[in-house]
Amino acid sequence: MTHLTSAELIDIVEGTLDASPQQHLDTCTECRQQVADLAGVLSEALAVAVPEPSPLFWGQLSQRVRTAIDTEPLAAGGWSRWLRWPVLAPIAALALIVVALAVSLPREVPMESAVANSEAAASTLDDGFAVVADLVGDFDWETAVSAGLIVAPGAADRAVLELTALEQQELTRLLQAELTRAKS
Amino acid sequence: MTHGTAVRIAWAPAVTAGWTVTVVTPDAPDATATGCFGMDDAALVAASIDGRREAFDVIVERHRRTVYQVCYRFVGNHEDASDLSQESFVRAWRGLKTFKGHSTLSTWLYRIAVNVCLNRVSLKTLPTDSIESTDHFEDTRVEGAQAALLRAERAATVRKAIASLPKKQRATLVLRTYHDLSHQQIADILGSSVGATKANFFHALANLKKLLGREP
Ligand SMILES: [Zn+2]
Repeated sequence: MTHLTSAELIDIVEGTLDASPQQHLDTCTECRQQVADLAGVLSEALAVAVPEPSPLFWGQLSQRVRTAIDTEPLAAGGWSRWLRWPVLAPIAALALIVVALAVSLPREVPMESAVANSEAAASTLDDGFAVVADLVGDFDWETAVSAGLIVAPGAADRAVLELTALEQQELTRLLQAELTRAKS
Repeated sequence: MTHGTAVRIAWAPAVTAGWTVTVVTPDAPDATATGCFGMDDAALVAASIDGRREAFDVIVERHRRTVYQVCYRFVGNHEDASDLSQESFVRAWRGLKTFKGHSTLSTWLYRIAVNVCLNRVSLKTLPTDSIESTDHFEDTRVEGAQAALLRAERAATVRKAIASLPKKQRATLVLRTYHDLSHQQIADILGSSVGATKANFFHALANLKKLLGREP
């Protein structure tokens, strides 16, 4: 007789059992004994808690970690430092302007103009926003999407693609005004 | 990052001047140190990589009990568990940039803690925590001091037996029994298969039974 495998025995102890091992179990006292032994020792192990350390210990552990890593600077850098909330909202908004203008401009207008427009628009804002505008200029659509910048999908996207030049200007003005308001 | 920032445009096609534009920002975490407490794990990781150590403090505070308990189960004594916990968080700090967010932060920290424990060449001490220092005597009036003492002695014996299991068996037993990780999660952490994890768990329990059978 072929007895149950260790994996099958564990499945039985944990209650995730197929029908065929159960049939064997019904006829095999040896495997039934194994299951009972495993369940017994598991139950005993489960009953043993980790002793609670002194309440002061947790603060001490945090302090020890802090002291240990204080000597290990973790160099900041890369695009991840832009994943900060105060930066994300304006990036998303400006990315929308760039993309909307770039996509909707007539073919003879070079792409750079669209980016330049957005940078010029942002230049009225403070230095921090100028940095953001630079960044937006570097952002491609894939990066923006993969970084979690979600431009509202659906009707608004389609609408933006159909804007006239005047409408684009007005949209840009409204976005600027809104961003300035949100920032203050 | 799981958060999204949306720019919502209400557009009236017939009226050019009729737009309203709203920048919608989901509840943004406070930029101050105390503001880190409201951040989720992903945001804390990003802030830590950004050089904000107070964000990593919050990660430590949030996960230190779990990490300590994994380590304690592994070694069976407070002193080594403290050292291993500290080492686990230091390694987490060093490796933060490698955390891709494919798993949860807690699973990632489990992996680090288990590896720190597995790689520990030799323990400074055997499980030696005395019963008196580690076990609380609850309900002594009800069940009697004698029974409480026996229970505490037995618990110490079980801990000692677990801490003496072969390392992979110990890791599997600890993660499966006390931290409720699935066999798949454990297999991922240990770099093995689900079948191997179940076999490890089986042998861990079988060995534990043998060890406990020798010590009443
Ligand atoms: Zn059998």
